[in-house]
Amino acid sequence: LPAGLSQWFPALEVLDVSGTGLTEMGTELLSLPCLHTLLAKNNRLGGPGSLPKGLGQAPLARSLRVLNLSGNRFSEVPPALLQLRGLRSLSLGGNRLHGIPPDIQELQSLEFLYLGGNFITAIPPELGNLPSLRYLVLCDNKIQSIPPQLAQLHSLRSLSLHNNLLTYLPREILNLVHLDELSLRGNPLVVRFVRDLTFNPPSLQELAGRTIKTRNVPYAPSDLPESLVRYLSLASNCPNPKCGGVYFDSCVRQIKFVDFCGKYRLPLMHYLCSPECSSPFSSASQSSTSQSESDSEDEASVAAHRMQKVLLG
Amino acid sequence: MEQPVQTETWKARSLEELVRILHQIFAEDKVSVDEVQSLMESYESNPEEWLQYAKFDQYRYTRNLVDNGNGKFNLMILCWGEGHGSSIHDHTDSHCFMKILQGNLKETLFEWPEKKGNGEMTKKSERALRENQCAYINDSIGLHRVENISHTEPAVSLHLYSPPFNTCNTFDQRTGHKHKVTMTFYSQFGERTVCVSTRWGASH
Repeated sequence: LPAGLSQWFPALEVLDVSGTGLTEMGTELLSLPCLHTLLAKNNRLGGPGSLPKGLGQAPLARSLRVLNLSGNRFSEVPPALLQLRGLRSLSLGGNRLHGIPPDIQELQSLEFLYLGGNFITAIPPELGNLPSLRYLVLCDNKIQSIPPQLAQLHSLRSLSLHNNLLTYLPREILNLVHLDELSLRGNPLVVRFVRDLTFNPPSLQELAGRTIKTRNVPYAPSDLPESLVRYLSLASNCPNPKCGGVYFDSCVRQIKFVDFCGKYRLPLMHYLCSPECSSPFSSASQSSTSQSESDSEDEASVAAHRMQKVLLG
Repeated sequence: MEQPVQTETWKARSLEELVRILHQIFAEDKVSVDEVQSLMESYESNPEEWLQYAKFDQYRYTRNLVDNGNGKFNLMILCWGEGHGSSIHDHTDSHCFMKILQGNLKETLFEWPEKKGNGEMTKKSERALRENQCAYINDSIGLHRVENISHTEPAVSLHLYSPPFNTCNTFDQRTGHKHKVTMTFYSQFGERTVCVSTRWGASH
């Protein structure tokens, strides 16, 4: 960035330095108190020092709303970027990212996040802690699974997952009430009923925990070591509505298909408390085409209202 | 459309002139596909002339009507943000011309699925369309998906459909199942049209 930029243009609000071959953006940025949009796509940013030190303390940290760093050479999200607390729109499309830092959750104002066209293999559950996120693009990466915590993105309207390595989705995805668009093409989604047969039997601790929870055995914090009190608080309810059971760590992963609007069948991953719990539809599991379990019909009618714009094909 | 004996070689020097010549061509009983395609290709994209129609949406591509061709054709501009793409779709027995005004679009051609087919659809070919290039498709050629695969550049394309249509079928690539959809305009003649219905306007 040219020296003296902030002296000549102290009231600068929008700066576009795209396609200028920049390898770093220096301290001039720190003295631009009104800057809300910074476009720096198609440059050679990505090395150390791409962003100036002290970014978190600069006025920019509160004023910057839009940052576009697509088409650069970032192999990781620069930590300094996560200090831009006012950021609403961030694009790092077409870089060399291999992952997303959990501290992405620091960007609490984020509404638009574009990470398409990288080498991302996994999504941190912390990505689900962005309450204002409306548009999330993860297409053209190497993602193998989606953490169920993404279902906490209750503002999400559009989720782009096409061209990844997904075989199924977490069933919690049905909780995204405002999700209008979901792109899934170009993923090796399983098409047949799959049952994960490697069920690790629960530990004695888990069996005891389950009994306490399902039988409502009363206990007070003074009765148990703190670690066990905490453990008991982590019980998850079995998603099978016909089962009132809970589980802690030991569960069966099962893929169930949910029809959307009678047109598409999405494979969703269920966690069930035990292989026996899946018996309401396990008899149908042998026939890969029979999908008319009552459970899936209930879910399908709910899903049909919520997800009319699933783009599978 | 059939091929008449003589085809004109047109040069449209502006978008306005392109529209004018299109009206002239379509006033005739017979229109040549090659003539329209080369006319569209002859127009050298000048953003100043179409910027007013190029309204982008954050979430998906938009269809912006430019001219309704006296009922003979629809001319519209489509705006594709980074990563935006269409479903696989047909063209309801109409002719479709697609010219790139800015950026690049990838067109993937598919075979029609078998009537009783229940398997993955067959990809015929794919190509990258460059600025000012004009592609043509109709239902006898096949189905296609159009997408902006760039993660850094938006794309803008100019489409002509004759006769005009507002419904088409979208296809699930994994099964070949089709689903009829109604398309809507994001803007018409440069004015944003607010859709009353919540029904999604799919593909183009």
